[in-house]
Amino acid sequence: MKDGSGEDQNVAPSVYSHVSRPGSHRYKNAKKGLPFNVMLVGESGLGRTTFLNTLCERTVVSSNDKTNAEQAHIAEPMQFKHHTVEMDEDGMKIILNIIDTPGFGDGIDNEACFTQIQEYLETQFDEVLAEENRIKRNPKFKDSRVHALVYFITPTGHSLREIDIEMMKRLGSRVNIIPVIGRSDSLTPRELVLFKQRIMNDIAQYEIPVFSFPDGEDEDDEETVEENAELRAMMPFAVVGCEEVINEDGRPMRVRNYPWGVVQVDNDEHSDFDRLRYVLLNSHIGDLRDRTQNEIYELYRTEKLSGNTAALANAANAANVQQSSHIMTAA
Amino acid sequence: MSATDANGLASAQSASGGIGIANLPNQLHKIVTKKGTNFSLMVVGESGTGKTTFINTLLTTEIIEPLEDAARRKKQLDKTVDINIHKAELEEKMFNVKLNVVDTPGFGDFVNNIDCWLPVVDFIENQYEQYLRQEQQPVRKGIVDMRVHACLYFIRPNGHTLKPLDVRAMKAIGARVNLIPVIAKADTLSPAALRQFKKRVMDVIDAQSIRIYQPPVDSEDESTSLRNKDIVSAMPFAIIGSTQEVKTPDGRHVKGRQYPWGVAEVENDQHCDFKKLRSLLIRTHMLDLISTTEEVHYDKYRTTQMKTRKFGEPKPRKADNKKFREEEEMLRKRFTEKVKLEENRFRQWEQKLIAERDRLNKDLEQEHNLVKQLESEIEAISSVNSPNGKFFRK
Repeated sequence: MKDGSGEDQNVAPSVYSHVSRPGSHRYKNAKKGLPFNVMLVGESGLGRTTFLNTLCERTVVSSNDKTNAEQAHIAEPMQFKHHTVEMDEDGMKIILNIIDTPGFGDGIDNEACFTQIQEYLETQFDEVLAEENRIKRNPKFKDSRVHALVYFITPTGHSLREIDIEMMKRLGSRVNIIPVIGRSDSLTPRELVLFKQRIMNDIAQYEIPVFSFPDGEDEDDEETVEENAELRAMMPFAVVGCEEVINEDGRPMRVRNYPWGVVQVDNDEHSDFDRLRYVLLNSHIGDLRDRTQNEIYELYRTEKLSGNTAALANAANAANVQQSSHIMTAA
Repeated sequence: MSATDANGLASAQSASGGIGIANLPNQLHKIVTKKGTNFSLMVVGESGTGKTTFINTLLTTEIIEPLEDAARRKKQLDKTVDINIHKAELEEKMFNVKLNVVDTPGFGDFVNNIDCWLPVVDFIENQYEQYLRQEQQPVRKGIVDMRVHACLYFIRPNGHTLKPLDVRAMKAIGARVNLIPVIAKADTLSPAALRQFKKRVMDVIDAQSIRIYQPPVDSEDESTSLRNKDIVSAMPFAIIGSTQEVKTPDGRHVKGRQYPWGVAEVENDQHCDFKKLRSLLIRTHMLDLISTTEEVHYDKYRTTQMKTRKFGEPKPRKADNKKFREEEEMLRKRFTEKVKLEENRFRQWEQKLIAERDRLNKDLEQEHNLVKQLESEIEAISSVNSPNGKFFRK
């Protein structure tokens, strides 16, 4: 979306971030900065780029003007675009690495997209695995494992589509998936509630693994437990992208202007963007990182290392099955 | 009474008025009012673009019922494009319209959408085919005309440009029927973004030579021309659909969508192009849509078919969908297996019969031999018993 009047239109820190919320984990990485890797996945036009800019509070990516009408019938393959932004969140320094995926789901046949993303995720794990096994480790090793994947769901108002189901099912075991509803300002409040319900029903029905704000094993802090339950009830987050910043009562506000009204991005009644931002960069950044390291990576590691023997066993089994089936048809 | 002018044409002029040719439109009006008309509208687009709501809003009745959750879940993963036809009869001020609405659930909804527009195109061509055949029958009285007069293609408002799927599908559909592109759920784009999106879509349509419906603009009176120009310049139409009545902040009751930040009105030209599209489809251009279908699209189909086929010959079947080919293969395999089994059975039966026959033949031979033996014994006895056995025998 063109802002029209200069680059730093989006410089407007969240007006609600100074309101104290319970359960904010702090890390003492003040000097170096905490690395946090987030991948954004979703079809074009769902507000991914705008979300990126709004999250980082500056125009990281300018809107891509695909003005080439003659090429419109050719589907561009999916790409991985990396952006790094240094953020300061309540005094905590975060090195935010965002991986954008333009081209996802834009083709006529999108089977290949899933494998591409899966390979990317697994490559990062492989690098860490290799690094761990080195005799002399590199102190400056950059951990590029993806800690969270924000998946944009099209606001159809009905329920999940095949591409959503496939996507989250296949990648849920390799990364924390946080489903969000893009362009949620196309749904009335009632429609939004029903849509969220139906999505969560689908997620339960198809057993789709998404990040569901789990309470820690010995979590006895009531506030945290409550907060997690609250967040679970909010899922999936309804996101609205900001187009411009206006000055309202001297405070800058991120808004979308329509002939029938003005949507306030930071208003909790209009969108869940603010809450999501807080979850990603503040309250649950630790949980997301920990789960990636302790559960997801460990699972991959186990699979990979025992995978060599398992692969041989599988091959032997397959050969046996083939033989016996031959015997049966000959009889 | 009749004066001839310089060119020799007879112009009918009398003192009181003409001979009555000017009354023909009134006669036509009476005939059409009595007969009513038949209109088929098709809606194509991904699920969740508001097709059902739009139809119900356009016709102010619930023609298509929204799917229940269970039915929708069944459709989620079945990977096929269905064609559903909803029929309705509309009446307004003694004028009847038999309306057919063709819906296409499953279009563009799956991970792999290759050829998903083929069922749509096939349906359109099949209607032409049916009409063609019916026309060629000796008795042409009760012709059923399901030819599609207009196809609304719902484009998702992604704010950038047309997707490759949209381009391919619209090309295929626009070549066979009156295609009207529509921007769905337009209440998610700000006015500036909407203008830009419309322009981009039209740019792509031009660059890719996609054929869309061009309503005739010029007419006798100024106001109609102006209105038509207005309608044409708004293409592709940005629409919002809603069957519910809500109250605006300034107290009016309108059809619209109520958001926390305001009410998006359906019939407000500042908010969307619904009224223009409704005018195009019904009030001003319905008959043009019908006649363009008959004179241009159907005629094109008829010409190409008649050039290659003889009168009365059935249409040659095209290569089928991949999925159907697989099913066909499976069925064929099963069929050959069954045939093999039956052949085996017959062969065994044949062998049994042959064996039986041989056995019976052998028995017969044995008996035969016995008979022969007895005969020779008799001979022997009779020749032994009397040297001049002639006395006994005679």
